[in-house]
Amino acid sequence: MEIWRLPISASQRGKLISAGYISLSSLSSISSSDLARELKVSESEAMNILKVASHSRGSETSNASCSIVEGAQSAWDMLHDEESLMHITTSSADLDNILGGGIHCKEVTEIGWSSLSLIVNSVLKYKLTTAFGSESIIFMLIGGVPGIGKTQLGIQIAVNVQIPNDFGGLGGKAIYIDTEGSFMVERAFQIAEACIEDMSEYNRFLRKDFQECKIKILPQDILENIFYFRICSYTEQIALINYLDKFLSEHKDVDMSLWSQVKVIVVDSVTFHFRQDFDDMALRTRVLSGMALKLMNLAKRFSLAVVLLNQVTTKHTEASFQLALALGDSWSHTCTNRIVLYWNGNERYAYIDKSPSLRSASAAYSVTARGIRNSSSSCKRIKMM
Amino acid sequence: MTPQSLLQLTSQKCTTGCPILDRLLYGGIPCDSITEIVAESGSGKTQICLQLSLHAQLPVSHGGLAASSLYLHTEFPFPFRRLHQLCLSFRSSNAHHFPVNDNPCDRIFVQSVHTADHLLEIMSKTDPFIENSKNQVPVRLIVIDSIAALFRSDFDNTPVELKRRSSLFFKISSKLKALAKRFNLAVLVTNQVVDLVGPNEGINGLRIGNLVCLHTSGRRVCPALGLAWANCVNSRLFLSRNEEVIREENEKSNGQSCDFVKKKMRKLYVVFAPHLPESSCEFEITREGLFGVER
Repeated sequence: MEIWRLPISASQRGKLISAGYISLSSLSSISSSDLARELKVSESEAMNILKVASHSRGSETSNASCSIVEGAQSAWDMLHDEESLMHITTSSADLDNILGGGIHCKEVTEIGWSSLSLIVNSVLKYKLTTAFGSESIIFMLIGGVPGIGKTQLGIQIAVNVQIPNDFGGLGGKAIYIDTEGSFMVERAFQIAEACIEDMSEYNRFLRKDFQECKIKILPQDILENIFYFRICSYTEQIALINYLDKFLSEHKDVDMSLWSQVKVIVVDSVTFHFRQDFDDMALRTRVLSGMALKLMNLAKRFSLAVVLLNQVTTKHTEASFQLALALGDSWSHTCTNRIVLYWNGNERYAYIDKSPSLRSASAAYSVTARGIRNSSSSCKRIKMM
Repeated sequence: MTPQSLLQLTSQKCTTGCPILDRLLYGGIPCDSITEIVAESGSGKTQICLQLSLHAQLPVSHGGLAASSLYLHTEFPFPFRRLHQLCLSFRSSNAHHFPVNDNPCDRIFVQSVHTADHLLEIMSKTDPFIENSKNQVPVRLIVIDSIAALFRSDFDNTPVELKRRSSLFFKISSKLKALAKRFNLAVLVTNQVVDLVGPNEGINGLRIGNLVCLHTSGRRVCPALGLAWANCVNSRLFLSRNEEVIREENEKSNGQSCDFVKKKMRKLYVVFAPHLPESSCEFEITREGLFGVER
């Protein structure tokens, strides 16, 4: 969609075009203060323009670029789209860093609020062009021993996906599928509270020259936007994932409320119910790959991220034991991205085990009362491999 | 299938009977989740189990669950005498909740379990049992003391047998969690420890949770049943027991002298839990029960 179709005043349109903004996608990655500076208008005007632009962008369906093959997209368009991607932060700058989120502005890290990058969308830089169009698929497996913080990371993602667009977040809702009963509401409340506090501090820091944009979000609102399902058997798990298609279509509202659609599905943990006696292992593999395919289809259709938390088990190799993700190799291979959480000395580390776009790297993080945060040790460093 | 509203989901907790321990556990043992207590023998696991079964009968306003409990024990004999002793002190400190001829022991249902298959059998019968109990005092607490005893002897140390053992863990845990969710029960499971021999490498030294390694009685230990069972529980608490030599100043007739006295130091650690930070506290076991000590 072009700028000239935006419902803004003629003078604003003229300013945009003379400043070089020709297409909508170029407006998607700029902040309102930068835009105000470039167009020499007030910041409130700039925010208005961006709001209108994002609204129009949301209502269009696909790129109307001409292509030789149906549904294909030129590489240039893909690169452009990539750069305008939004991210969900993990709230730990080191973790965001290795996940390709990048740090937006240096000041943000200094006040402890990490950059606004999506743990799952950052691996989104790799887009899958299929017959249905170039939709991005984010499919991530996170594995670790008990007590390393998988559930904590899951809750943090379900909270952080709700960070509004104004703060560079996705402003989306979350679906949390709990198979183990590890989800504690009081903990989610604690994490939501800390997230709101961080947001208001960020707000106070960045907009100190501008009038206060009050944060009207309460922890209760954040909890309301997490759709929580508790399931007790593998048949329930499969039935739920089949049902999610209907659920997501019903919840796809496009009104201008603060949170519009579901943007992430977290499954904690995807392995628990499958580790019982399955008489037929081949059946288990079939069921698992069917489930993975369904989840991938959901991710594609509704442009959302899927984060699966996995348990680990020991693999008997010759004479020694090795830690491996539960449910076997074929399951590990269905996911395009894998992150392994492990202990290194006294610290928790996350290691990108497999990703089509990111380098293998590990970063330290810690689980605090406020959720997942940067590790505060003095000898931390991000190891690139 | 509709999502549950998180705002209406309250996690109820069952008090342990001691305010210091309750503070450490953010209220007590949570419902709809499996809490595991790991300790070597003689550390106080059974004491906590008995104490919890009694305190579950307190009304909700006092931190209890207003419920009876199901106590599955695998080690014989069941400590009836100790339960009776605890019951007496429980009655006297909570006299206003219980009429004179009411015996709290009546509301603890004891069942012995012999093997893992026996446990599975019992659990399939537990469903209607708990359903029926709703008419009198509902069962809201299940204690299994201890789960390790069921698995320590029946299985060989071959990969095939270990695999069979693992899948039994998940079966049992899945059934327990389904029960816990259906009737909003608190489940408390106790586990034993095994010694860690050899260097702290490989699977031997696999760190699970907040503590680098667990120490009790001056030796390094790790919970029995391995990584598979660790994946089945929601929270894990560790009780350690150590003999400490403490210097005590004594007034004697020929002036001051000091005695070296051996004292038992007992500590409760949170190894991992989705809602608790890393913490620990000291406790002691008296005739009245198990209580935290504020130092």
